[in-house]
Amino acid sequence: MENIIQTKLAHLTFKSPVFTASGTYGYADEYDDFLDVSEIGAIVTKAISLKPREGNKHTRIIETQAGMINSIGLENLGIEGFLEKKLPVLRAKNIDFIMNIAGSSMEEYALLGEICSQNNIKAIELNVSCPNVKSGCLEFGVSADSLYNLVSKVRENYDGFLIVKLTPNVTSIEELALACKRAGADCISAINTLKGLEVKFELVNGKFRKTKVQGGYSGVGIQPVALSMVNRIRQAVDLPIIGMGGIYTLEDMLKFFAVGADAIQIGTANFTYPDIAKKLQDELREYIIKNNFKDLDDLKNKIRTCFNEQ
Amino acid sequence: MAEHKKIHKGIVKNLKKCSKDIYLLELESETSFVSTAGQFISIFCERTLRRPFSIYQNDGNTVSVLFREIGKGTKYLTSLKENDIVDFSGPFGNGFEIKNKRALLIGAGAGVAPVSYLKTELEKRGIESLLISGFRDKDDIPSCLNSDFIVTDDGSNGIKSNVIDFARLKVKEFNPEIIYSCGPLIVLKKSSELAKELGIEAQVSMEKVMACSIGVCRGCVIDVIKEGQVQNASVCKDGPVFKGSEVVWKI
Repeated sequence: MENIIQTKLAHLTFKSPVFTASGTYGYADEYDDFLDVSEIGAIVTKAISLKPREGNKHTRIIETQAGMINSIGLENLGIEGFLEKKLPVLRAKNIDFIMNIAGSSMEEYALLGEICSQNNIKAIELNVSCPNVKSGCLEFGVSADSLYNLVSKVRENYDGFLIVKLTPNVTSIEELALACKRAGADCISAINTLKGLEVKFELVNGKFRKTKVQGGYSGVGIQPVALSMVNRIRQAVDLPIIGMGGIYTLEDMLKFFAVGADAIQIGTANFTYPDIAKKLQDELREYIIKNNFKDLDDLKNKIRTCFNEQ
Repeated sequence: MAEHKKIHKGIVKNLKKCSKDIYLLELESETSFVSTAGQFISIFCERTLRRPFSIYQNDGNTVSVLFREIGKGTKYLTSLKENDIVDFSGPFGNGFEIKNKRALLIGAGAGVAPVSYLKTELEKRGIESLLISGFRDKDDIPSCLNSDFIVTDDGSNGIKSNVIDFARLKVKEFNPEIIYSCGPLIVLKKSSELAKELGIEAQVSMEKVMACSIGVCRGCVIDVIKEGQVQNASVCKDGPVFKGSEVVWKI
């Protein structure tokens, strides 16, 4: 049977436009209790650095009015650990995945790219925008020149599908998208988390106590920002875009397609609804059939046309 | 294909106010599951993050939790009515490791839930146990306990003592071979210290704000010492029950 939600991003084909976002899906094996992960479009791994990282010591997560803030600090098992322990599992289960990588220097990113090439990793997503690491990846993501240099360096070393994940914490996301394109990126994903702070006070015996987390804000509250950013990127470059930010429903997903996303990632919603990726994918397929669209591309074209009408 | 059996629909069978702000919530699960004392379920509370609760009782069909109404999530739970449908996931984590040893159980506040569950499990196996539970005052004591001794900080009901001081008194006659505890961090730390003094094992049930409940987000990590090194452990997946001697106490 023809797959009506098949999604082509440049030269790479995915079985659906529904992916899961880095940092919310581990390395996929943890989700076996909720769904068959091999059925979803792709999972993006938790960010992987050259060496293992322990992450931050302070309180790492806090809920906000319309989402959550995390300050994990890229805790991960390092690329050697990933290749040894996680990659064989992903491959054995036939899970389509995109490897998210994070370096702390240009050389580290380049080396990570090279290792990914050597190991036939089909697609990587560069994390150039983590707000929770003191030195390193954020700086690359906020200046067009340094981002251009970084992406160029990785491009030289990596011959697979190269996605760059952009941060919204910048003045002109258009310039950064253009820098990615010039440097040879295949695709842009957006947005990473917004910088945020939440603090909760408790009055104990007349004295205030606080719980504070400053870090990356995600969840339903960031959706309007994400839609705006994806739309601005769409107008600036003709690269495929993977949109994300507070997606919980089919309607949310359609909005991202309308403003210019070719695929989407589900992030924070995975924590609350661990089987949501499969559910939204099924709902999308049913919506296309029920409303007599030819396929996903037909739906995207029509909703985009409507969005772009004066 | 693996069975995807960790998301459940629960019908509210009973929501009972057991003390000033501690409630008992009983859910009849559409899908039955087995659990061990110390494991938890995560209930969708119409907020961004699910709320994790140690299981209080589980007979395979009906699972219950004890919780204190403290914020928006738990306020949602107290607004539930009989026959409402609740979305919950689990059971998650590693519960208490049951050993054939005379057990001192220490529970404080709503933390009494998993040790009370454990007491039932120990009794089934014929293992001798003594459950001491501690509360702030008489209005704080839930009406549904299988506790051997109840102490209150102000002495308004039961014995006036903090739960650890009273446990110290009791160990002389009870002579425990293992201590299991759940409650505020300070109670867990002092339970571990007491076990260390007695040269016996302590198992403690830790608590942290969680996002995913399954170890992926790394939001609920604590420091533990394993093989002589400080390492990260997630409360949700590696815990919530840890050996007291492994926890790096930050209090």
